[in-house]
Formats: sequence, structure tokens, C-alpha cells
Amino acid sequence: MLPRGSEGAYMMYTPDGRLVQVEYAAEAAKYGSPVVAVRGKGFAVMVARTKEPDPLLDPMEKIHMVDENIGIAGAGFTGDIQLLVDQARVEAQRHRLVFEDPIDVKTLVNQLGQFMYQFTRYGNVRPLGASLIVIGSDRVGTHIFQLDTRGLLLSGKALAIGKNSEAAISLLRDEYRQEISMKGAINLAVKALSSAEDGESPVEVGIAKGMSFKKMCLKDALESKE
Amino acid sequence: MTTIVALRCADGVVLASDRRASKGGMIGSKAVKKIYPIDGRKAVAIAGQLSDANYLVNLVKAEAKLMEFNRGFPLTVKEVAKLLSNMLYSGMRNYAPYITELLVAGVDETGPNVFEADISGAVTDEMFTSSGSGSPMAYGVLEASYREGLTVKEGAEIAKRAVRSAMERDPGSGNGVQIMVITEKGSEFLDAGGAA
Repeated sequence: MLPRGSEGAYMMYTPDGRLVQVEYAAEAAKYGSPVVAVRGKGFAVMVARTKEPDPLLDPMEKIHMVDENIGIAGAGFTGDIQLLVDQARVEAQRHRLVFEDPIDVKTLVNQLGQFMYQFTRYGNVRPLGASLIVIGSDRVGTHIFQLDTRGLLLSGKALAIGKNSEAAISLLRDEYRQEISMKGAINLAVKALSSAEDGESPVEVGIAKGMSFKKMCLKDALESKE
Repeated sequence: MTTIVALRCADGVVLASDRRASKGGMIGSKAVKKIYPIDGRKAVAIAGQLSDANYLVNLVKAEAKLMEFNRGFPLTVKEVAKLLSNMLYSGMRNYAPYITELLVAGVDETGPNVFEADISGAVTDEMFTSSGSGSPMAYGVLEASYREGLTVKEGAEIAKRAVRSAMERDPGSGNGVQIMVITEKGSEFLDAGGAA
């Protein structure tokens, strides 16, 4: 039996086969404010609410640009998210250096997943308390991916992470339609986001389409031509 | 010592080579392979030090397969050329250059592509190109005969003539022609007829 408080130094299974440090980290990621992503035909969108505005502070961004064609939003510890975003940006530029072409979304999320997974294998490290949604458009198509603390990679038609994401997911499950329009997808994502978290703070929207990723405020996103 | 050519055609690419390996003043081998497939739609033609070229091609073949498994779709021709050029460049910068010149040709989603990577790591995007000791003679034929919009069938004929001409006047080239044609459907070696 380990002395109380020292279990953080070990990354070992409990007798019933769990890695509790990783589970604690996943719990931390669940406290982050939610992010919702929806994929349609030829496009993908993600929405997130910025932090409640403080008159003294500049608003914090929630959606991060990684490269011309990829964006990331995370839920969890801001520092851990920033580390992952930095890692993703470096990977994207490294790929450009080697191949003179932008990185594809799958390669990027695989590398991020491996990076996160490493923290679940060794003692004396803290698994990252963050999960990510990565959306992007490359020459294969348009993608949405979700990465969790364990390095588990999910992709699909609609995803949600962060606080109360179960509520957002159940709404998405009910209301997602195959032939959803861009505007419809943004509205659905915002609705799902609001079901998970009510707030007045502004909504950021990320749109991936035609080999590019753009970040904008909700008003601009809904007024764009699509 | 070698003649290799690569041509970009409307419906694919053509690579061609002679089959001679020189060992000083001797003919080291009369049946050398100088065209190597990277995958079903890309190939590299090599000139220069055979061992260096083989090493680079094998490395790139492995890297290309790994990347295809990981990301789910194959490398582009340009990406293969860049991978090779990165190794060539680092060789040159570390005073241990790979003594080789490589023609990378194939078909990807952007269409037929031909690139040349030289000993310094420079990559150029070409319509047609040639390398090796026989290239001045091969270029004579290519410059006179190449035009845009050739079919691979016409391209293969020009490539064969280019290598044959080089073999007539270049002592470093000879012992037959090998031709590879790559189209959307895949790649195949064409029988260029016996040794000339």
C-alpha cells in the first residue's frame, strides 16, 4: 500500500485494471467549458463560448488557428490546451518544411494523440487535463476529430467535449440531419452548446471548408453567404 | 554513367533507362535495374552511385508506405521528391553526399508529375528530363520530339528513341532499354525489345 498522496508518482494499474490518474485527468477535462463540432457535406463547423467577459481583461480566445486549414478548441486546463496547440502548430509547420504542403488533419491528430498518450504510460508525469476538438479541411475532405486525455481519437458527424457535453451530444443525436446546411449546422451547434452551458458571453465559430479554416464571431458566421 | 529519361504526358508519365552498370572502364553489369516503383503509381529512375540511390529509394519506399498507413492516402509525387531531396541536401551539407541524381515520376490526384532531385537536394518540376552521362544525347531527341499533350504511348516511343540515341554515342550507356509507363490505372514495364 502506498502512502497517502504518493500515488501521483506512479502510473500503475489499480487491482481492477484502471489507470486512476488518467481518469482523474479526464475528470478535469470535463470541467472545461464545452465545445461542439458539426460536420456537413463539404464543410465542418465548431462553436465555443469565450470566457465570461471581465471589463478589465481582454477576451480569451477559445478557438485556435493551427494552420491555414486546421483549427483546435479545447476543454480543460488552459495551460495544457495551449501546450497542445503549440505542439500542433509546430507539427503543421514541420510538415510544410519537409513536404512543402500543408499537413492533413488525420496526420496531425494522430501525432497529437500520440503526444497525449505518452503521458499515460510513465510515472512522475501528469496526464494532460484537456480534451480537444480538431476540425479541418484537406485534400481528402473535411474532418472533425475529438482527442481525449488518454489520446483516444474519435471522429464522426457531430462531437462535443467539456462540461455537460452529454446534454449537447443527446441533442445532436436527436437533431442532426445528413443534409444539413452550413447555417443549419452553426445553429444546431449553438443550440447544443447552449443546452450544455447557458451563458451570455460571445460565441466563437470556426469553419473548415475548401482547404481553409476560418475563425469568426457568430454574427459574421451566420451572415456569410452559405 | 547511365541514361535515364522521364516524360510527363497527358494521360500519365513515362520513365526509361539503359541497363549498363560501369566499373571503371569495364561493364560491371549488363542487366541493371534503374527504374524502381515506389508504389503502384509512382517510380524513381536513378543515375550515379547505385548503392547510394538504392539506399535512398528503399528508405523513401518504407517512409511512403508508413505514411500511407498512418494517414490513409498515398503520398503525392512532389512529396516523394521532397523526401528524397531532404536526404540529398543533408548529405551534401554534412560532407557525405549521396552521389546520385533521381527522376521521380508518377500520377497523383493533381495529375501526371515529373520531378528531378539532384545531388545537392535541389528539386525541379519538369515536363521532361534526363540524367546521367548519356543525357546530352537524350536531350537532343527529347528537345526535338517532346510536345505537350503526348499520350503515354507516344511518350514511350520518344523515351525509347532518346535512350537508344544515347546508347549509340555514350560509352557509359548500353545493353538495352527498360521502360515504365504509369497511368491512372497503375504502372507497368514495357518490353522494349532486345539489347541494342
